[in-house]
Amino acid sequence: MLFFQSEETLHEWLVAQRAPRGAVLSVPQLWELSQRWYEDRMSPQYHGRTIEQAQKIFKELRLTSEFWQTV
Amino acid sequence: MDENLIWEIRAFVYRHFAETTCPPHVDEIAARFALTHEQAVSAYEELHQRHAFFLKPDTHDILMANPFSGVETPFKVYANDKTYFANCAWDSFGIPAALHVDAEVEAACAQSGEPIRLSVADQQIHDSDALVHFLLPFRDWYKDLAFT
Repeated sequence: MLFFQSEETLHEWLVAQRAPRGAVLSVPQLWELSQRWYEDRMSPQYHGRTIEQAQKIFKELRLTSEFWQTV
Repeated sequence: MDENLIWEIRAFVYRHFAETTCPPHVDEIAARFALTHEQAVSAYEELHQRHAFFLKPDTHDILMANPFSGVETPFKVYANDKTYFANCAWDSFGIPAALHVDAEVEAACAQSGEPIRLSVADQQIHDSDALVHFLLPFRDWYKDLAFT
């Protein structure tokens, strides 16, 4: 996952890399996702999460497009 | 290998990253947990297989234990009076989220190279016009994690 300063530079990068556009998040959206994804990562009880648990987080954060689905 | 021990080793690796910014060498694991070198290697391989962390190809050195990177990257995170390296834009936020600390993130626009600096204070992010692009859909994340 890469940072871009603007939509314009993201577009230039996609053209230069001949890459498809994936998902684009704002800084506040990424922070929200990071907090949910990593808040318990230092816990000795964290043993990973299932795909279903990951998808629950995406859904709660309204990341519901096909990009965030497993199939 | 004992299941509890496997996860104790995983927790130790994460604490080591938090305290030193670097992963422990496999021999440090052997010494800490009274294991042979081969047993420590086996534990690392097991945790790699379980995606608890990821080893550099053909080595027993930790490449990444998300959100921490075992190597220097363009994603610097200043926190706890230390400089951590994150694996990507997402993980650069993941470090203050995991450690529950304030942080300054220093990275750059992937196209222009212009610096991008972001601040986390009191577990709030200072807003910015910057964007984050996820290239691969979720279903492909673990096929090629480094690329993602």
